[in-house]
Amino acid sequence: MKPEIYHSVRVNGQRCIGCVHCLTNCPTKAIRVRGGRARIINELCIDCGECIRFCPQDAIDSRTTSFLDLNVFQYKVAIPATVLYGQFDNATLPSEILFALRRIGFDYAYELSTINELNNAAIEKYLNNHPKPRPFISSTCPVVVRLIQRVFPSLCELIVPIEPPREIAAKILRANLPRVLKISPEGIGIIHITPCPAKMVSINRPASMEKSYLNGAISIRDIYKPILQALRQSREEAIMSHLFPETIFSGIGMGTALSGGETRGLKYHRTVSVSGVRDTIRVLNQVELGLLKDVDLLECTVCPDGCVGGPLAVENRFLTKSRILRLVNSMGERAVVDNSDMNLLYSEDFLSFRHPVAPVGAPLLDADPGHAIQKAERRNELFKRLPRKDCGACGAPDCWSLADDVVRGTAVLSDCPFVKKEGE
Amino acid sequence: MTERVAFRQGFPVSGGDYLHAGQASVKIKNLLRELGLKDDVVLRAAIVSYEAEMNIIMYASQGRLELAVAPHRILIVGEDSGPGIEDIELAMREGYSTATPEMRELGFGAGMGLPNIKKNADDFRIQSEPGRGTRLEMTIRTNGRDA
Repeated sequence: MKPEIYHSVRVNGQRCIGCVHCLTNCPTKAIRVRGGRARIINELCIDCGECIRFCPQDAIDSRTTSFLDLNVFQYKVAIPATVLYGQFDNATLPSEILFALRRIGFDYAYELSTINELNNAAIEKYLNNHPKPRPFISSTCPVVVRLIQRVFPSLCELIVPIEPPREIAAKILRANLPRVLKISPEGIGIIHITPCPAKMVSINRPASMEKSYLNGAISIRDIYKPILQALRQSREEAIMSHLFPETIFSGIGMGTALSGGETRGLKYHRTVSVSGVRDTIRVLNQVELGLLKDVDLLECTVCPDGCVGGPLAVENRFLTKSRILRLVNSMGERAVVDNSDMNLLYSEDFLSFRHPVAPVGAPLLDADPGHAIQKAERRNELFKRLPRKDCGACGAPDCWSLADDVVRGTAVLSDCPFVKKEGE
Repeated sequence: MTERVAFRQGFPVSGGDYLHAGQASVKIKNLLRELGLKDDVVLRAAIVSYEAEMNIIMYASQGRLELAVAPHRILIVGEDSGPGIEDIELAMREGYSTATPEMRELGFGAGMGLPNIKKNADDFRIQSEPGRGTRLEMTIRTNGRDA
């Protein structure tokens, strides 16, 4: 909630022992170990959370909204990602989970599968209305948007300018709740519940909008236990909420948390779904080389298997996936979004970004092109002198990064324990 | 290239190595971006590198891409010891291809490679001797197309 937050991922200095796990697994090489502690380079971090996943010390976590922060709001709404439905055992149904959220202090829990369907229908319409360029790239994964801005700037214009479901949901609530409840807009707190560290950043520093419609994000890790307790304490009431449901769910929108879930509803378009951060980078490289022009929509999610693999989830992604697939199968193709409603919202630009996604230039070798060329040459020479063990002992993720740091002036060659001292 | 070359780097490319197809071009693309070149220039250089790289992978046994960056221009040379091109004029035609069914099965060999290089490079020279090999020389001006 403070504007100076750039990143949600942060290192706990007490727990970090300065090992190399986060260092070598960071896909954008945004971590260095300095003074025995991991440090994140702000310009390079895309908040993918790979470091959270790989840290054996549990020393990296994500800054998400705390329950205490919610007290400033008179009326609190939770918008849980559909991943939450797969976190509890098979007997726990989505309607019970929404009930539990109300039980632990939210005034209302807004169901997202219907909005996933709405988002899907809007993307389909956008693809129909825009035969070129190809492929378009979905904006749902905020890390993919950040990755594209920093590493694949030429692809910014391929990002479909339809708001992700969480933002559409919050926008709908913002437009209606103050009027219906007769509460001032500032009194209403809309909180996303998510397995994703980047959602916090996308809420505080949205890439595509000036301001997010959400007030914060709580990780599934933080809310898991209270939900579990609420489910246990009010088993019977929860079952009643399931027998007499207040919420309708969408079969089409239920599977969005799985890789390929977003493209599943697009029957008449050629789609490709990629998951995992390294594979996403590989495919985006291909798109930038001019390949994949025969694809209409590219869905990339940097977490393995989609949002179900989010680092801030509690249950492992395989069980989550199995439970969500079960829901998808039981709901089938059930559609709940009225096409004329979607058309109306679409034509009013309610579902689209106001601001295009703009490139965020990666740090250049040097502002002066001539000097940059010299530094590139020097970096090659330095690299030849390094052992290529990529051990991380110098504090950089690999030998190439040390050579890069040296020419950029943030490290010295003698940081490498293997390199021979000058003149030896 | 008449200017003094300030930066040079070679990238070996192995014939038949579809697994690593595009790696050299991605390295070239990333490097040019770090040097602060305009995105349109970076992308055109990446595309011509990729086409040259694919030609080596598809037809030759061994080859290399050679990148040279000077303040005003980028020179990319793709050189291989492959079968060479019999009729260069014919090879430059869109849709003309000598790709084998196997290459086409992999989605390559649509006969657009050399025409695509011609489209994206500011200057394109091709030398080939059947049985000996092929050398592609592609220049891109760093201040863009309009200059």
